[in-house]
Amino acid sequence: MNAPLNATRQAFSLQGKTILVTGASSGLGRQIAISSARRGARIVATGRDADRLQATFDALPGEGHQQILAEQTSAADRAALAKAVPALDGLVHCAGKQMLSPIRLLSEGLMTQMFEINFLAPVMLTQQLFQAKKITPGGSLIFMLSTSAHIGTPAVGPYSGMKSGLLGIIRCLAMEQGKHRIRVNGISPSVVPTPMWGEDMQSAPLQAQRARHPLGLGTPEDVANAAIYLLADASRWVTGTTLVMDGGAVL
Amino acid sequence: MDNTPSSDPFSLAGKRILVTGASSGIGRQTAIACAEMGAQLLITARNTERLAGTLHALAGEGHQSIAADLTRAEDLAALAAQAEPLHGIVHAAGISKLVPVRMAKEAHWQELFAHNTFAPMLLTKELLAKRKVQAGGSIVFISAVASHVGPLASSAYSASKGALLGAMRSLGLEVIKQSIRVNCIAPGYVRTPMLDGLATGGLNTDDYAGLAPLGMGEPQDVAHAAIYYLADASRWVTRNYFIVDGGLTVPMDIYA
Repeated sequence: MNAPLNATRQAFSLQGKTILVTGASSGLGRQIAISSARRGARIVATGRDADRLQATFDALPGEGHQQILAEQTSAADRAALAKAVPALDGLVHCAGKQMLSPIRLLSEGLMTQMFEINFLAPVMLTQQLFQAKKITPGGSLIFMLSTSAHIGTPAVGPYSGMKSGLLGIIRCLAMEQGKHRIRVNGISPSVVPTPMWGEDMQSAPLQAQRARHPLGLGTPEDVANAAIYLLADASRWVTGTTLVMDGGAVL
Repeated sequence: MDNTPSSDPFSLAGKRILVTGASSGIGRQTAIACAEMGAQLLITARNTERLAGTLHALAGEGHQSIAADLTRAEDLAALAAQAEPLHGIVHAAGISKLVPVRMAKEAHWQELFAHNTFAPMLLTKELLAKRKVQAGGSIVFISAVASHVGPLASSAYSASKGALLGAMRSLGLEVIKQSIRVNCIAPGYVRTPMLDGLATGGLNTDDYAGLAPLGMGEPQDVAHAAIYYLADASRWVTRNYFIVDGGLTVPMDIYA
């Protein structure tokens, strides 16, 4: 960014902001951490795989970043994380997991896992951070959702239900925190090939998805750019809503 | 204009962008902000004096202004003919008038739809027909949350803005093969001369804006959203209806 700094460019900068990213050891979380750091943010990266978290940390441009190992489904780890982090201007909940099951075959074990990873963990980490007064006024919170929060897909119910549930949290939290000018929004990408979709980028499910996306599948960079807009002061009047990104996907 | 493509995904360097309604409010601020991100602007509006004021306020070189009344077919054709190929369009021109249905004559409905719906669609048609929108370009319509909220005495306004949603989605499919993206931004209450006009007409706009957790918005809040949709940062986003309203509609069951 060699262009002169003016009010508009300043609004899209993350200089001077400290941002916590969960699920930072791979996929969308990793790219959001890297792209945000490139835009000037100080990153607190958290994940549960020490080697991969270290790899993300090593890839962060700039100075002053932190990494904190934590298992998001552990209440003790969430409490320790909330205690350890500095004051935050941004929070991006990226940790998540996809498991498929038609409702007729759904087990309580699978549903409980989906609930704990995709819903309980981000909601209760948010609670802990507010309780510890770690979200600064004017801060921005982002929940990584999915187009499955808005549409119906066979066998995606357990995941879809939890992402839809977060829509309710986003709206109510936006109402609660408006007085502190803290913003709460979601990003709902359709298919972005990440490790969550498996190692084989030419797998049959991914090929089928490519066929229904006229602009192709998304990249982690596309999602990171949406996160940058929602973290930056450029979006200071955007709250309680969701940015849907789907490459013009058609059925 | 800086023609070197930037590694910054939010930069508009090397992009030529048309902004309508550029003489005031959201259009004016969008033009100013786009210029600050490096774009070359083509701005249009009816009022030549205020349009010249916006042109003067644009950072950088090589901007152009063309006065036009977008409700006149010959002005649309002339504007599209004079425009150099575009990478982005922001349809910010629009009007608002408070009239309850029992008093709204056909002329009122015609006027609101002429400015808010037909003008942006017919300008888009002229530009597409003359191949003035580059592959990979981005078209942004400024709608309004009125499309779903339906405030008092705003039937024609709300309908004319709501119509943009369906039109945008269909247009988005039509141009997707050229990788042209089409999106709507739906603002809530933004401090603009248009809103001041409604306040003069007796609407207590501050009370309405006070319902939003983040209060009243400023033109730059909408301009910054437009920059995201114009920039390569949003290259995977199309047929999107994005609400920028300070949370005004969050406690409303507008989609229920």
